[in-house]
Amino acid sequence: MSAYFDPCEKCEEVMQPYLDRALDDAERAQAEAHLADCGYCRKRYRFEESLRVFVRQVCAEEMAPELKQKLAALRTPL
Amino acid sequence: MSETTPTEPQQLATEARDRVRFEEEALELADQVYRVARRLVGSREEAEDLMQETYARAFRSWQSYTPGTNLRAWLLRILTNLNIDRGRRKQRAPEMQPLEEGDYFLYNKIEESSREPISEQDAVVERLSQDDVVTALSAVPHDFRDVLVLVDIGDFTYRDAAQILDIPIGTVMSRLHRGRRILKGELADKAVE
Repeated sequence: MSAYFDPCEKCEEVMQPYLDRALDDAERAQAEAHLADCGYCRKRYRFEESLRVFVRQVCAEEMAPELKQKLAALRTPL
Repeated sequence: MSETTPTEPQQLATEARDRVRFEEEALELADQVYRVARRLVGSREEAEDLMQETYARAFRSWQSYTPGTNLRAWLLRILTNLNIDRGRRKQRAPEMQPLEEGDYFLYNKIEESSREPISEQDAVVERLSQDDVVTALSAVPHDFRDVLVLVDIGDFTYRDAAQILDIPIGTVMSRLHRGRRILKGELADKAVE
């Protein structure tokens, strides 16, 4: 496959801030109206969303308890 | 004119109380700060060093924090500055090679590589392992990764990320967009390997 055809350029622009909850009410309504009508974008939107959730989950690494103790030890002595 | 300035011991007591409160609040946020720190740098050791430097500096300069503002963002600002100061950004800003396939490169590539069309988007994501994601993220150049990690892992708003990194909000958005594209490009390579 040589070239990708993107039928929804507009959606590209709107998708990121939509997913980041950075659109105002009017823009969000517009984005949702487009998603309701466009199966292609809906599919891509869901993919993007699930990818983000996945990235966030797998990147979460808990701090070692020893580090927490070291940080607490940095407090100014009373 | 009778000025009622608090006596020195009172002042000291108030200050000590405020400082203790600050320290406790900062420590309560340590888990969240660490989650971001861990992905800003390449190793657990570096993240731990950075956390200790950050908290040491925060505890020293606690009076420059304005109570009621976003303490997590304040701590991350110290942390990202230290990270830059320590010369961990050896990697230069990447050349702007275009990803002509567009933002859905990963999706398209995975879909192409499979025999049957993927109907469930989760199936696409499930082909990736944790290692794939962590490795792909570490391959994203620092300028883009900082924004990506703050917004996508730290759950900061564009505005917070802009303040933390001291860059305009438009730069946050463009770096974020580009960072995600790079990440997806890296993931696509792994998903079809």
